[in-house]
Amino acid sequence: MYGWIWRHLPGNAWVRALLSLVLVLAVVYVLFQYVFPWAEPLLPFNDVTVDNQ
Amino acid sequence: MRVIVRTVSELCITAGTLIVLFVAYVLFWTGVKADNEMHDQIDQLQRQWSASATVHPTTKASATAAAPAKPAAYHYGKPFAIMYIPRFGFTWNKPVLEGTGTDVLKKGLAHYARTAQLGQVGNFAVAGHRRTYGDPFLDFPKLRKGDAIVLTDGTTWFTYRIDKGPYKTVPTDVEVIDPVPRKSGYTRPGRYLTLTTCDPEWGHSHRLIVWAHLDSTQPVETGRPKALRR
Repeated sequence: MYGWIWRHLPGNAWVRALLSLVLVLAVVYVLFQYVFPWAEPLLPFNDVTVDNQ
Repeated sequence: MRVIVRTVSELCITAGTLIVLFVAYVLFWTGVKADNEMHDQIDQLQRQWSASATVHPTTKASATAAAPAKPAAYHYGKPFAIMYIPRFGFTWNKPVLEGTGTDVLKKGLAHYARTAQLGQVGNFAVAGHRRTYGDPFLDFPKLRKGDAIVLTDGTTWFTYRIDKGPYKTVPTDVEVIDPVPRKSGYTRPGRYLTLTTCDPEWGHSHRLIVWAHLDSTQPVETGRPKALRR
């Protein structure tokens, strides 16, 4: 999977490393901005009220 | 065969990384976001209050000790007061917002919309996170009878004193935020305050409650109440 991505990135090793870093940062950004805020309320830490509003 | 092994191990590593990232998000990043958000809410309140103070200079000077003027209606998701609890440390202060939706609880403490307003007859009930989103009520079990809970709405300081708690109950026990909560030991209508949070720290099986009564009020012009002075 990662080998496949690496082989399909353009440029030499340095350019590929840089592009991989950008890809990783993009994935982390999407996770923190969209995926985790969606998943977090499914955990019980938000239940602090007595009437479950 | 090798391709399959490699792909499976890559997937395992990816899943592990995802879990670590998610834990980092819940433990750390929600706190960073909430601290920023609460800071913004307090700034917003203070700007609002200093703006209205210049419009109506010293109209509250005649406010009597027992009966502060009726506050304006609260709006969902908007801050209206700042809470101080000396037991949690002298730097502990959090905004109180209207409504108990999860979006509101991310920005500060949440006032149960159907309960009394600050300082009024009835039960002013507030919920807060025990863990995550800045851990506002992390030290909840340390609260003791006689501890001060101080709030300000920009014109008046309200000092509540804890009478009972922390009291452990189940999430369906909505009676604890009644105008006269039966299990608190109060028997007559009065100006009460209830705080709720979750218990255990990371769970949701129970709730912790403290009850307090309004001990004193004073206009903001007279300075900070005694409970907040070191």
